[in-house]
Amino acid sequence: MGENGHLPPKSNIKRWLVTTNHKDIGVLYLITSMFFLVMAGILALLIRAQMWAPGATVLDPGGYYQVATSHGFLMVFWFLSPFAFGFANYVVPLQIGADDLAFPRLNAMSYWLYLFSGVLFGISFFQGATFMGGWTMYAPLNAPAFIPNYGHVGSFAAILALVMFTGSVTIGSVNFLTTIYRMRAEGLRMRDIPLFSMSILLTVWMMLFAFAALLGALVILSSDHLLHTSYFADVDGNPSSGGSLLWTHLFWFFGHPEVYIVFFPALGAMAEIVQTFSGRRLVGRKWFVIAMALVAIQSFIVWMHHMFLTTINLPIKTIMMVTTIGISLPFDLMVFALIYTMIKGRVRWKTPFLFVLGALLIFIVGGITGVFLGAIVLDYSFRGTYWVVAHFHYVMASGAVALIGALYYWYPKITGKMYNEFLGKIHFVVAFVGFNLLYFPMFVVWETPRRMFEYSAGFTFWHRVASVGAVLFAASFVIMIYNLFMSLYSDRVVDDSPWAYTGSTEWAVPSPPPTENFPGTPSFTSGSLRFLEGPEATDGGVEGEEATPDGGQVTAAADHGEPHPDHASWWPVFAGSSALLAGIGLSGLSPSMFVWPFLFALPAFVYFVGAVGARRDGFTVLHGAFLSASFLLLAVFIALFHVTQGIITGLESAPTYFWLALAGAVLGVYTLVRLGFESFYVPEPTSSAQWPFGEVENTKLGMWTFLGSDIILFGAFIGSYVFTRFEFGWQDWWHVAHEVGGLEHHPVWPGLLNTYILLASSFTVVLALVFARRGVGTTEIGPLSVENRKLTLGFIGTTFLGACLFLLNKGIEWVDLYFHQGWTFNADIMSSTFYLTTGLHAAHVVIGMMLMLFLMVRSYTGAYQGEDEARTIEYFGLYWHFVDIVWLFLFPLFYIL
Amino acid sequence: MASIKLYTAIFGVLMVLSTMQAALEFTGLLEEFYVPIMGVMLLLSTIKAVSVAGWYMHVFDEPRAISYLAIAAVIGVLALIAGAAYSIT
Ligand code: HEM
Ligand SMILES: [Cu+2]
Repeated sequence: MGENGHLPPKSNIKRWLVTTNHKDIGVLYLITSMFFLVMAGILALLIRAQMWAPGATVLDPGGYYQVATSHGFLMVFWFLSPFAFGFANYVVPLQIGADDLAFPRLNAMSYWLYLFSGVLFGISFFQGATFMGGWTMYAPLNAPAFIPNYGHVGSFAAILALVMFTGSVTIGSVNFLTTIYRMRAEGLRMRDIPLFSMSILLTVWMMLFAFAALLGALVILSSDHLLHTSYFADVDGNPSSGGSLLWTHLFWFFGHPEVYIVFFPALGAMAEIVQTFSGRRLVGRKWFVIAMALVAIQSFIVWMHHMFLTTINLPIKTIMMVTTIGISLPFDLMVFALIYTMIKGRVRWKTPFLFVLGALLIFIVGGITGVFLGAIVLDYSFRGTYWVVAHFHYVMASGAVALIGALYYWYPKITGKMYNEFLGKIHFVVAFVGFNLLYFPMFVVWETPRRMFEYSAGFTFWHRVASVGAVLFAASFVIMIYNLFMSLYSDRVVDDSPWAYTGSTEWAVPSPPPTENFPGTPSFTSGSLRFLEGPEATDGGVEGEEATPDGGQVTAAADHGEPHPDHASWWPVFAGSSALLAGIGLSGLSPSMFVWPFLFALPAFVYFVGAVGARRDGFTVLHGAFLSASFLLLAVFIALFHVTQGIITGLESAPTYFWLALAGAVLGVYTLVRLGFESFYVPEPTSSAQWPFGEVENTKLGMWTFLGSDIILFGAFIGSYVFTRFEFGWQDWWHVAHEVGGLEHHPVWPGLLNTYILLASSFTVVLALVFARRGVGTTEIGPLSVENRKLTLGFIGTTFLGACLFLLNKGIEWVDLYFHQGWTFNADIMSSTFYLTTGLHAAHVVIGMMLMLFLMVRSYTGAYQGEDEARTIEYFGLYWHFVDIVWLFLFPLFYIL
Repeated sequence: MASIKLYTAIFGVLMVLSTMQAALEFTGLLEEFYVPIMGVMLLLSTIKAVSVAGWYMHVFDEPRAISYLAIAAVIGVLALIAGAAYSIT
């Protein structure tokens, strides 16, 4: 694999499994997302078939709810964003003058997690029934007690698929943020990056925070399914008092930013396409960017406009109404900027432009109808009706229509061939007519209840119009697929830029661009502020009269020639597949069985670290110790398993799900170890200091952005706790746990002890870093002279020991609370929040311990001695200190107050 | 890069502050002055958190943008908590 660094040719299937190149991955995203578009589109046609007549029986009710729910899931999660990120992958590095994304292997991992999460979602259909409660997953319909038995496994699989998808998105956000901030070509200022890249930057910021909140919500929901905690409903089917409201808060705190997340890339593409085809720089570009940034920030403070019909109080509703109206103002500005640019420029009516114009018109309708919904009183009537359905299809599908424009726009760049313009225009006309036939009637018969198929007979005509429109809209995509497929084999070859007036760097390289993107190191330092066309203008374009900072020149510098090392890796696809296996397994396991496959993975992990490490660095005593320790751990595992399950009976009764989870967990840890030890190509930034993160290296910035999302994840948990406790009566909380939940005593001591332990372990990590930085050599400690390498190892080891003590102490505490006092996960909401929040923290500790095992074997061989080498320990330290910080808040919140 | 001495001193302060939090609980003042003591408690945690971030995670030595990133996330969390808690009727 990849020892010589060359990727197999594109005709070889292996190429697509091992590639980490951003352009390949962009193509994979585009194709995969279109596949999900087709899948979700077929579901949509089923919906429209059901709606042909009121109360139709094409599908039985359960079937209909599954279809409607998964149509939403697939379109929003598995089509729209990934489709946009296909372009982002392909185009952003080109636009900012980078060789690749900052972390190519992680990028591949994002893709594979995405693909396999979709596969897991697909599988959920065949596990009885997939989730039926709508894409918003409102509580308590999302809790096991409210899901029919035959749908338990499939529903949980769907939830796990979303968890996996969230993982993919988070990794992707970290990657894009690091890339855009750190990998820009010299001289390209942040404010000057092309508008599409700018929109992706803002999108990934929103993603980083919003999806962390969704992850929090999903993990809590998973725990209700798996551990029988009672956040949303208890096992007997009593909805918890604040549970439904809690879910809406968590979901919409994610959900509102999410609707902009799916729309922003389309907005960026619209801006670029409008610029290109009107031959003008965007009017008010600076304000356009500011408006986008404002919307991105504001998107986090409007979420309760989805909750006007819940029990939230009137003052907060009013606040949210105001912020909602506020957020539509920057949108107005953006729409006007686009329209004005078209008016001032000389428009060329090519297919991409038509789609963008169509999208803009559609978006205006959607935006205006959204403002209706934002008015509290109107929403009292509109909520839960087809008005909402029509509104969000007009806005969301407007994004999709714009991205179809983007597909036509970048198709020549990606394939090197021009599509058939005539068929493109036909596609547009059919799609536009079909779209409006499909969705406009929904405004007319808006009183139809949403997500139901029973409606008043008087509405039948309009629903039939909509169904006809749906068929037309779907058919238009057949034209597109035919066109794009046939054009691949046409002789309409294009060179660098088929469009006149293009302004961004991707048009200054051949179509398709070579693997290494640029003939030299791209530089914007000459500050060439004009519309840059391809080196040779192809269809007689003249230079735009407007100066634009959106582009630059590619100056050939000679220092670029050497081929890339290790561009190929198998491990990302393995990571994705092991997550899929573990996900399927987990979906079907009972609370008593599900931990075992993952516990088994721990000795396996220790073994792999020892074995793979010995192969990489040469066998040492420490490797030997790891190998022996793994067998010891295995023995402990077997003993535990035997005591609780009985080896023979346990294994005999283990369902297939058990073995799948086991395979997934073991393959997963093996993959992680191999990823850790693999030496791999990492693109270097062209300049070491870039605004605004100065000289912070890529990995450090990546770690910090990841921690940013982790802050939100813990925030969602702590927020759930605070919300529930407020709802309950803050000061009654523990009293009730004592009186009703059976909690006898919940002392401060274990918490305090663990605070001491964690603080000490933070201190020892810092010391490990200090001695790693001192490089090879020795340090005098009193009369002794100790090798720095050993001090590094020693302090990591001490930290590891601290983590062990922490878990031991917690274990003793939990055994006392859970078994001796009988304060189980579902004893009351106090126990649910206590165990789950501190449990999430403990899981972070365990992950930290796994990382430390890895650091230990490597530091023994002196791998971290030196200013640069020590960085790995610094990055780990960031994570570990963060885990410490979280505990500093959990301690008072769960032990004292 | 700060010295081992400084790191040790910070470690000492962190331990003392944690002990103070537990001690506050044992004074029983929480019964009488719940809200102010809660404020003090969370303030102590915040001081500890900022110290760990500032010195152990070297945030004080990094470009400001790193702090802004973390602060933005914390503000997000506070918005969620405050909004959700305030919305309760
Ligand atoms: C002018 C801007 C907008 C305003 C004022 C607005 C307002 C609203 C309101 C108040 C609702 C809640 C309706 C209800 O459930 O009763 C809503 C729903 C929705 N909006 Fe918008 N919206 C706007 C733009 C957008 C955009 C740009 C998108 C996405 C691209 C979008 C996607 C959605 C979605 C998906 C829903 C339905 C959520 C659900 O399933 O319940 N909206 N909008
Ligand atoms: Cu919204």
